[in-house]
Amino acid sequence: MKSHPPPRLPPQIRVLERGWLSSNNILCIEGEGATLVDTGYAAHADLTLALVQQSLGQRPLTRLLNTHSHSDHIGGNARLQETYGCTIVIPAGIEEAVKHWDENALLLTPSGQWSERFRHDGVLSGGDRFEMGGLEWHALDAPGHDMNAQIFHCPQARLLISGDALWRDGFGIVFGEMFGNTGGLQATRNTLDLIADLGVETVIPGHGAPFADVGEALQRAYQRLAAFETHPERMARNALKGCFTFNLLELRRLPRSALPDYLRSIPFFKDVAVRMLGMDPEQAAQWLLADLLKAGAVVLEADFIVPRMAA
Amino acid sequence: MDIQSPCRSTCVYNGAKGWCEGCFRTIEEITSWSQASDQEKHDILAAAEQRRVTAMTPLPPKAA
Repeated sequence: MKSHPPPRLPPQIRVLERGWLSSNNILCIEGEGATLVDTGYAAHADLTLALVQQSLGQRPLTRLLNTHSHSDHIGGNARLQETYGCTIVIPAGIEEAVKHWDENALLLTPSGQWSERFRHDGVLSGGDRFEMGGLEWHALDAPGHDMNAQIFHCPQARLLISGDALWRDGFGIVFGEMFGNTGGLQATRNTLDLIADLGVETVIPGHGAPFADVGEALQRAYQRLAAFETHPERMARNALKGCFTFNLLELRRLPRSALPDYLRSIPFFKDVAVRMLGMDPEQAAQWLLADLLKAGAVVLEADFIVPRMAA
Repeated sequence: MDIQSPCRSTCVYNGAKGWCEGCFRTIEEITSWSQASDQEKHDILAAAEQRRVTAMTPLPPKAA
């Protein structure tokens, strides 16, 4: 991928670019207030709040939107709600899970992740139009990575907030195809087709910098998807590696000897290893560590597994 | 290649210093990152590295 200057965004939209454990936070200034899309991981809520306060000054945060309900997108909701008393609007498909704080449906317990509980004030359904940052946006259903996810499209600015449905290099783990579910890959394809048809010039992804080479990004995403469709095992291995690396960012370090038990204790890892890959946790641990070391994603420090990013 | 964000996903806000203890960028530097030019990003990285080195260097022992 070549180097590019940052794409120009409408001046009222500011992207707080975060890392992997926390999603990007997208701030839209409007009238006397502001809307924020996605709030990062709960463990990072202090920093998220400081970033929002610095950006807004005396202006209040009036509304929060979420693209989907994963821990790295909703984790700062509670803290921001408590601080600003802002309203929270979520995709309609996750309303019941949020209302009853169903940690299974929110994928928190199954993945070994956590979030502070928040209460929502409203929902967006696919096709709904709403104003944000003085512009009109369309909420579009974008299943695949999460079967209830949405993306937000602004035709006027030819701009898309894509969540984890499209990154510059790929897309999020296809959870819609995990735990024995089917239809996630087909949904991912439909979602990519939907995005391709929008003809946007700029994408603000859930992770990574905003980008303008949308056609190339779609091409890479389709290639990745085709590989998963042809080789489901590759999708399973990628899911295990991706989710483990994510969790390790919060754990900071894990004793090498504890890896098999760790994989056994988290339903998602156990399901991918045993049911999808036919490995027992010991075999999965051995393969996973070797592969992540080879890829340079983790390093060993005195028999502790440490994410390279944090080493 | 684009200049990668130095975020290490260990985002711990140090309110007294006004920076993140993971990447040693100030709050202002993190919020401006996504629209910064390459030169500005280089400057931010240099300033953050300076803070990191200073924070990691033990204070000299007091003279007797």
